[in-house]
Amino acid sequence: MLSIKNLTASINGTPVLKGIDLQINAGEVHAIMGPNGSGKSTLGKVLAGHPSYEVTGGEVLFEGQNLFDLEPDARARAGIFMGFQHPIEVPGVSNASFLRLAYNKKAEADGRDELDPLEFDDFIHEKIKLVAMREEFLDRSLNEGFSGGEKKRNEILQMAVLEPKLAILDELDSGLDIDALRVLGDAVNRLQRADRALLIITHFPRILETIQPQFVHVLSGGRILKSAGKELALELEERGYDWVLEEAAAGGAR
Amino acid sequence: MSTATASGLAQHDLLGTLLATPRPPEWADLRAAAEARLAGQGLPAAHSEDWKYTDLKALQQIAFGPAPQAKVDVSALLLPEMVGTRQVFVNGHHAPHTSCTSAVPAGVRFLPLSTASEACHALGTVGPDSASPFEDLNSARFQDGAVILVPKNLKVALPLHLLFITKAEGPVAVFPRLMVVLERGAELELVEEHHGEGTYLTAPVVEVRIAEGAILRHERVQRDDAAAFHLGTLKAEVAKGGQYHSRTLSFGARLSRQQPWVRLAEGAEASLDGLALLEGSQVADTHSFMFHAEPHGTSHQLHKCIVDGQARAIFNGQVLVAPRAQGTDAKQQSRNLLLSESARVDTKPQLEIYADDVKCSHGATVGALDPEELFYLQSRGLNADDARNLLTYGFAADVLTHVPVASLRRALRQLVMARTQAVSLGDLS
Repeated sequence: MLSIKNLTASINGTPVLKGIDLQINAGEVHAIMGPNGSGKSTLGKVLAGHPSYEVTGGEVLFEGQNLFDLEPDARARAGIFMGFQHPIEVPGVSNASFLRLAYNKKAEADGRDELDPLEFDDFIHEKIKLVAMREEFLDRSLNEGFSGGEKKRNEILQMAVLEPKLAILDELDSGLDIDALRVLGDAVNRLQRADRALLIITHFPRILETIQPQFVHVLSGGRILKSAGKELALELEERGYDWVLEEAAAGGAR
Repeated sequence: MSTATASGLAQHDLLGTLLATPRPPEWADLRAAAEARLAGQGLPAAHSEDWKYTDLKALQQIAFGPAPQAKVDVSALLLPEMVGTRQVFVNGHHAPHTSCTSAVPAGVRFLPLSTASEACHALGTVGPDSASPFEDLNSARFQDGAVILVPKNLKVALPLHLLFITKAEGPVAVFPRLMVVLERGAELELVEEHHGEGTYLTAPVVEVRIAEGAILRHERVQRDDAAAFHLGTLKAEVAKGGQYHSRTLSFGARLSRQQPWVRLAEGAEASLDGLALLEGSQVADTHSFMFHAEPHGTSHQLHKCIVDGQARAIFNGQVLVAPRAQGTDAKQQSRNLLLSESARVDTKPQLEIYADDVKCSHGATVGALDPEELFYLQSRGLNADDARNLLTYGFAADVLTHVPVASLRRALRQLVMARTQAVSLGDLS
């Protein structure tokens, strides 16, 4: 589904990604882990098309198509979703009307029927159950005055509405208490399907107890230093990141 | 009368022309005092500090005549919640056939000034004698207007609707007048709208007197013609524990200026919110004055402008906290969105604080749309244009969220959608 080859990217002329290789297939759950400043959030933003980052080399194919030929909105309509670490507040636009607008743009791109406000009302009331969101949050302005946890709930709701092929979830666990983390982790698990892939970007291994990845990659200094199965997350929980960095440094020195 | 100026343009003696119409007989003292002040001061000079960003040259080149009585079709302006609680004024004259007050509750006076007793409604008694020369012009020549009086402890369930409409063949000047008095513990929602067609000057004056514990929610909509001049004055005095909440929404007029002046007594609350949507070469100026005269008052101002084309917005927000006004809580925010390179905003907070135990804050932002916000919406599948339009719409619609009359809120949202190119985004309400 997603094939990343020797991807390099920079921000304001400073290299942040220094050669990433990663293959993600449909049905797989990958976790990108790493210390702060490692470049793991950058990877998500570059894939989603954040305008501050410049792709300086390499290639990313999404379902065989060059991702960098597509504007961010076209990537979204093609089936890439990024759950933001810090979702943006948009005053004056109700959450429900924004969700319907986003749904209809995707439906239009997919050649499906758009939903009118009444139809969407039924549709969204089913979806909010999945993330245990209270109804009042549909009428409020998009993310405005939402707590950190409520914003994350809204991100997963958007994922449920947009039904992406590839969902990149950037630091889903930040700002969440344990209960909310379990609710959203379960929601993500229920959304996972054989034709969908997940890329979980996280600093802390805790979320991976709920959303269990088949593949764990440690990113540091703009490179993937180590890839393994889910047991790597457990090891990182016990030992931290330093040993991976040391191991990589030693490997590099040899 | 016309004289040649240094610039070579014919410049009328605007004041002389406007005062050439006969002085109406009622309210003689008020009119005489206003004319005396005008004789002394004249209209604002181009170099005066208070008017330095708002050029009245274009106004001075037009010879405005008196506005004749006219008939208009108001059906498109009626709102279902207020069909039986409306007073309509056309060209400054009361329009009895298009007004309807059948649903106004007993005890509430909602009348044309021309039918009200002079003794009962002391016009010109709220606030300072003269906040602006255009207020004096109004006092000198207003034909009619509305008076609203809500008696003690009456909470009026239906909002009242005031429509001031100007329909001009040639350039005319109109001077709408409004006096609102809420007695102790009374509550009212009032919608004041200004509409028009043609080239005209409208200089409305609104006086508001709120007694102890009374609450007025005042929605003000300015949808004047793109060729019109709107120079308005509002003065409100809020007694102990009373509340005055106003929201002024400016869409029309080539040049508009709003001058709200509010005095808060002990524990009183006031909000003065504003939204101006400007395009082409429109100019919209707001000069507000929030006067915390006594302790423990709370005031809140959110003023937003969206400025496109070569338009220009001016905001000058004065807050005065008197020495005895301890415990004052005053907030002021001026937020401005520039949509074009040649659009311009001049925003200036002016806080004068003479008490030491107060919370006062102000902030001003002027800028374009935030790229992070645009990216967020694009990452949800909206193309760049849709994302921009949605953010622009939201910036404005934010001010409309708490408009209490549902049909008005809907109409205003549609108007904002049209002006922010957000119509293609479908129903956003």
